[in-house]
Amino acid sequence: METSVPSTVELQALLDMTTTINMEVFYWWCTALMVIIHAGFLAYEMGASRLKNALASGVKNILAFAFIVPTFFFFGWWIYLAMYGGFIPDFEAGAGGVPWSLSMGPNLTDNATGIFWGAFVLFAATTASIMSGAVIERIRMSAFIILAIILGSGVWILAAAWGWHPDGWLTTEWGFHDFGAAGCVHMIAGFFALGVIINLGSRLGRFDAKGKPVAIEGHSMPMTVIGLMLIIVGFFGFLGGCIIYSGTGQWTTIFGTPATLSAVSFNTLMAFSGGLIGGYMITRQPFWMMSGGLAGIISAAPGLELYYPPMAFLIALFAGSVAPLVDKFITNKFKLDDAVGAFAVHGVSGMIGLVALGIFAAGYPNVNGPDISFMGQLNGALVMAALGFIPGYVVSLVMSKMGMLRVPPKAEIAGLDLVEVPLKAYPEGVPASVSEKSVTI
Amino acid sequence: MASPITTWEGAEVIFTFADKPGMISLILIISIIATVCAIVATIRHESHSYIDYHE
Repeated sequence: METSVPSTVELQALLDMTTTINMEVFYWWCTALMVIIHAGFLAYEMGASRLKNALASGVKNILAFAFIVPTFFFFGWWIYLAMYGGFIPDFEAGAGGVPWSLSMGPNLTDNATGIFWGAFVLFAATTASIMSGAVIERIRMSAFIILAIILGSGVWILAAAWGWHPDGWLTTEWGFHDFGAAGCVHMIAGFFALGVIINLGSRLGRFDAKGKPVAIEGHSMPMTVIGLMLIIVGFFGFLGGCIIYSGTGQWTTIFGTPATLSAVSFNTLMAFSGGLIGGYMITRQPFWMMSGGLAGIISAAPGLELYYPPMAFLIALFAGSVAPLVDKFITNKFKLDDAVGAFAVHGVSGMIGLVALGIFAAGYPNVNGPDISFMGQLNGALVMAALGFIPGYVVSLVMSKMGMLRVPPKAEIAGLDLVEVPLKAYPEGVPASVSEKSVTI
Repeated sequence: MASPITTWEGAEVIFTFADKPGMISLILIISIIATVCAIVATIRHESHSYIDYHE
């Protein structure tokens, strides 16, 4: 029997196709892992809500995902491709992202657009989930949906176009570097949430008549803590989605600089540990331990491909320690009710991370801009803070003035599950944690 | 026919049914309207819930 020997051209075509499909497979599983972030946020928020609001918080969180996916298709991807230079779009560059583009759907000659679009949509939904936790138990569902769309399909992706894009102006002008999207995802979402909670106000009973904070405990701390751990699991997909797989050479960052997943593995795990320890040292309780772990990864995220691992550990230790203190400060000083500490964990840790990179990686070369510098990172962080805070504050202020932002007090007191859903989270009741016998003893 | 292709030879874009600009536009516009309507329906649902709810 005669066997045919493939030609060089055929072998090259086979290699090219295999490389392309490997790229698709890599991002496919990163996206799948990122869905676990949302399973985490779902459990986290429902657990942090009182029993009377547990389901409404879940519905709200799921709706963020539901509305961001189509709106990101309608205009989000176009913003990323077109607006890397500022507020003036590059229509030619954005042509591939309009919803009627031949790349925006099944196309046998384009293996990349959909898989990158999918990963970016999951980043978008993550920003909305970050904001979602801060506003539980008193925001109107419709107001939240509108704010989530503005944040997830508008603001974050504009920030990504500026500071998480090979030609983004923050990088080309200032050398801004942010491997793990601490700025465009975490700072933007954290500062957006801060703007919203200022206008939303605190939950009824969160402060006493003298303005002293009163703890409002969620109905299931175990659910919240497991949710936080799921977010950490999903983070590995998130960070995988931050690296560029070319198939023909070394991995690169989104800015085109060389990177390895191996480096990201070292530093992500070291940062997670540092954040856990920081949160534990300050509070001794599981919610802030896990939130500290999250804060730790976020604070090391800008340089996960660059740091000596103990450096990532120390930065994260600092951020994990600072997060609960910042949350306490804004609660006591400004009477703000951020129900899950989203601003402290995401906004502040993101800022710490960006500035830390300017200190500990200054002089590291970029491909499309000046070297990393302290001022470049600081200015980039300030842009992220403003870009997140201003739209969150202004839109929620307008909604508040129109009476569209907050549920009526009667509904808040009764609980949103009963008023809006209406179902009970535990229709047969929650089993007592202490047996009758042990009480007698 | 809903399929824009009848053979795999040389096939590239496969948007079944939406194979013409007019149809793409129509489906896109309906999708946008459906999304906006869902938000409006949520606002109405909430407003009714707050009014209809009795302690």
